[in-house]
Amino acid sequence: MTTHFAEVLARESACLAGVTSGAKLATWRRHVVEELMTPQSPYALAFQQSGDVPDREDFLDQWRELLAETVGRLLQSNATRATHCPTSRAPRADVDAQKTAVLILAALHGGLTLSQLANDPRPLNAALDLALVPFAVTEDNTPARTGSKLPT
Amino acid sequence: MTTADSHTGRRLTARGAKTRARIVAAAADLMYIQGVGGTTLDDVLAATGVSKSQLYHHFDGKDALVRAVIDHTGERVLRRERDALGHVSTISGLRRWRDALVLNNALQHGAYGCSLGALASEVSDNDDLARQTLTQLFGEWQGLLADVLRRLQDSGVLSSEASVDQLSTGLMGAVQGGYVLAQTARDVTPMAASIDMALAHIESLSASSRQTISQISARDLSPGFDSSAPVA
Repeated sequence: MTTHFAEVLARESACLAGVTSGAKLATWRRHVVEELMTPQSPYALAFQQSGDVPDREDFLDQWRELLAETVGRLLQSNATRATHCPTSRAPRADVDAQKTAVLILAALHGGLTLSQLANDPRPLNAALDLALVPFAVTEDNTPARTGSKLPT
Repeated sequence: MTTADSHTGRRLTARGAKTRARIVAAAADLMYIQGVGGTTLDDVLAATGVSKSQLYHHFDGKDALVRAVIDHTGERVLRRERDALGHVSTISGLRRWRDALVLNNALQHGAYGCSLGALASEVSDNDDLARQTLTQLFGEWQGLLADVLRRLQDSGVLSSEASVDQLSTGLMGAVQGGYVLAQTARDVTPMAASIDMALAHIESLSASSRQTISQISARDLSPGFDSSAPVA
């Protein structure tokens, strides 16, 4: 279990560091949904709830920190852009990065529980849509919503 | 007097029904605290004091008992949610629902999980019948949230363009994930933050929301409850 935690954190650390725009956030999100919906992927295994795993709290704390840094960075860059172009549809600067990160993490967990129950990635996508409202990266009618691979 | 067992269709005497209810209640408690996988039939026997033959009279095995626990837990959770959400038609009403959910979770003997969500994460792979029942129960719970959002649309608070089904699914995800984070942290703070943010995002989709959103963010969104306050 601990190795799944380490692998997910290593991958997330690399992926999230490259998220510098709403479009890249959308790519990150498609990737995470795909991983979570793949049985036996390190992501799916790390999210399994059975048993009391002492390292889980640490794992979630570290992932939340990575998410909060990313959210903070996006908010910052969009606030700067909004100053130059006040009419652009930018995330609001008043969004709390730490709490948004908590919601994203909760959406991943709760959405996955509902998606696994229904055998359908839509609940997970709906949960992430709501968590990412400030960045307007909803996924309506894209192949990711149905869980199929994106055209490359 | 006899009643029919909903799963086996067996006729139960009043005394039989009482024994069955006692077994199910004890199994539900054990599975909530120890998990489904961590609860054996021997644990249930020990906790109830019933004999093995009595238990097997009512349940063919562990799967049948788990299904009865799902029915029992689902009924309890949905009764609570129907009472809590049935008449909510404002964002502040949704916040009071969130307060009650978080406060009640802080009082659950340190277990912090959603009794229904915990069952969902453990049994869904193994048992199709259990999975169908859980899907129905979550569907009904989500339907209650969707009804609230529809009432918000009717009163013009929420934009008529917003997809109520999508948002209620998303809110349900935030609630369930919030429970999981609370369980891991043994603290309700992340659950409170997660539902607060989900509600703030829903509110940001409202027609004239900018002002309200900045007010919410300025508020202290960490659990705004007093643990000594009476349960709602």
